[in-house]
Amino acid sequence: QVYTINLESRYLLIQGVPALGVMKELVEQFALYGAIEEYHALDEYPAEQFTEVYLIKFKKLQCARVAKKKMDERSFFGSLLHVCYAPEFETVQETREKLQDRRKYIAKATNQRDCFVLKKVEGPKKTASKNSEHDCPWSTLESDVASNWDPSCFTSSPGVSHNTAYPSGNQNQSLLTSPHYDNNCAEISGYFGQNTSLTPSVHPGGHIPPASLMQQRMVPAYNGIDRFMPRTTHLQERKRKREEGNKFSLIGTSEDNTEVVIGPQLPEIPKVDMDDESLNTSATLIRNKLKEVADSVSTTSVEKPESSSAKPLVKQRRRI
Amino acid sequence: MELGRLEYLQALVTEFQVTDSTGNKRRCSLPLSVSSVSSHTGPFSLAEAKEQVLANLANFAYDPSNYEYLRQLQVLDLFLDMLTEDNESLVEFAMGGLCNLCLDKTNKEYILEANGVEPIINCLSSSNEETVVSAVTTLMFLTTPRSRAQTTALPVVECMLRFSLSANTRLSNLASIFLQDYCSPPQVEEARNLSRHTAVGIPLPKD
Repeated sequence: QVYTINLESRYLLIQGVPALGVMKELVEQFALYGAIEEYHALDEYPAEQFTEVYLIKFKKLQCARVAKKKMDERSFFGSLLHVCYAPEFETVQETREKLQDRRKYIAKATNQRDCFVLKKVEGPKKTASKNSEHDCPWSTLESDVASNWDPSCFTSSPGVSHNTAYPSGNQNQSLLTSPHYDNNCAEISGYFGQNTSLTPSVHPGGHIPPASLMQQRMVPAYNGIDRFMPRTTHLQERKRKREEGNKFSLIGTSEDNTEVVIGPQLPEIPKVDMDDESLNTSATLIRNKLKEVADSVSTTSVEKPESSSAKPLVKQRRRI
Repeated sequence: MELGRLEYLQALVTEFQVTDSTGNKRRCSLPLSVSSVSSHTGPFSLAEAKEQVLANLANFAYDPSNYEYLRQLQVLDLFLDMLTEDNESLVEFAMGGLCNLCLDKTNKEYILEANGVEPIINCLSSSNEETVVSAVTTLMFLTTPRSRAQTTALPVVECMLRFSLSANTRLSNLASIFLQDYCSPPQVEEARNLSRHTAVGIPLPKD
């Protein structure tokens, strides 16, 4: 089977759920892979005897992708689950957003190489000039996509509405309460959990670029993420992500939020204060590690999970 | 992405194209090659082997990091060629592959230069749902100020109008987006007027 953007969806159809009143457990299991926006049983859907069918809608396509891969053909309370995408449940707007996200991802991914190349040479002029024009990476993406594109089409796209949908959802989640397996989800929710003071100009672009960028940076073949991290290692997962997210190198320096990052632009994460001693200690350790790692990781490809887990781990444990 | 696997595919693509272009029923090791590394049990026919290879390539086309390599292997041409095949699966996979990689600027230009829009428009009349859906999306992605006249030509807009009324949500969603975001209101109006007077046109795919 060939996977295209049309086949994939934030909506997942789950068949074969045993009719034992386990909806809560089911949702909890899927929530390991990312934030879930909606879920309900599909009573009218054909199902085998003693099984139910559920629809789960993830906030992010990437999370749905991973959840499907992991949960499909998995045993659940004695029954074998069958998980597939359900794009037929999307609204027009959701489909539109899905296509836009794909477009942005490609735009960033194909720019990525240029940025890496420029990064080797000191002081990339190309990205620097872009930076000076627009602080916000969103604009960079816009100008890039728009160059090949009829501007009217782009402005009619749900760029703005898409953005505003997310913050309200994500801000409710802090890293403490919703462990996000997927790097995308974690970065974004962590992002908003910490940055309640993000300025409006940065905010709209705040999460989309990291999403696509994190995807690109993390996994060259992003349809093949195969890293399951159990809940307890969430801390090291987050730490690893920070290390790989070397573009966030400004964590170490603090004040200057408008400082420009070389390479793919990302809104800077202001200094982290998670109101928690152990977390702050961890964050400091992460920051230091990040500084250490920042240069060497810059142009290499994905850091494999195996290798990162071999790195010295932060001793502090996060209180759940 | 494992390079070994891509190299293997390169060998297959070469074999694929050679077999295809000669049209001769000469001995072809493609089925054997594919079956040796595939989980498929039982004998491979040439058609099945081709489908496997094409499906693999189309899936590789989802990942931008493979684009350079795929261009070198001339896979874009392969996809475009496959669009006119009789085998429905080959068309479906090729169309999917194009849909996956056409957003990249270089690929986009290549497809447009190679007059790829025409065979893609023809795919709109396929009876295969996936093919049609991929074709709609690909046309959207290929629309640039220059290619606009072609990708949003009157017959196409007409077709999209009908698709937007389809009971198939995926298709109607995509068609609606096409009409709203990629066509101007006068274009849509013109197509609407035209379809009121004619019954003939691009048929809807079978569900």
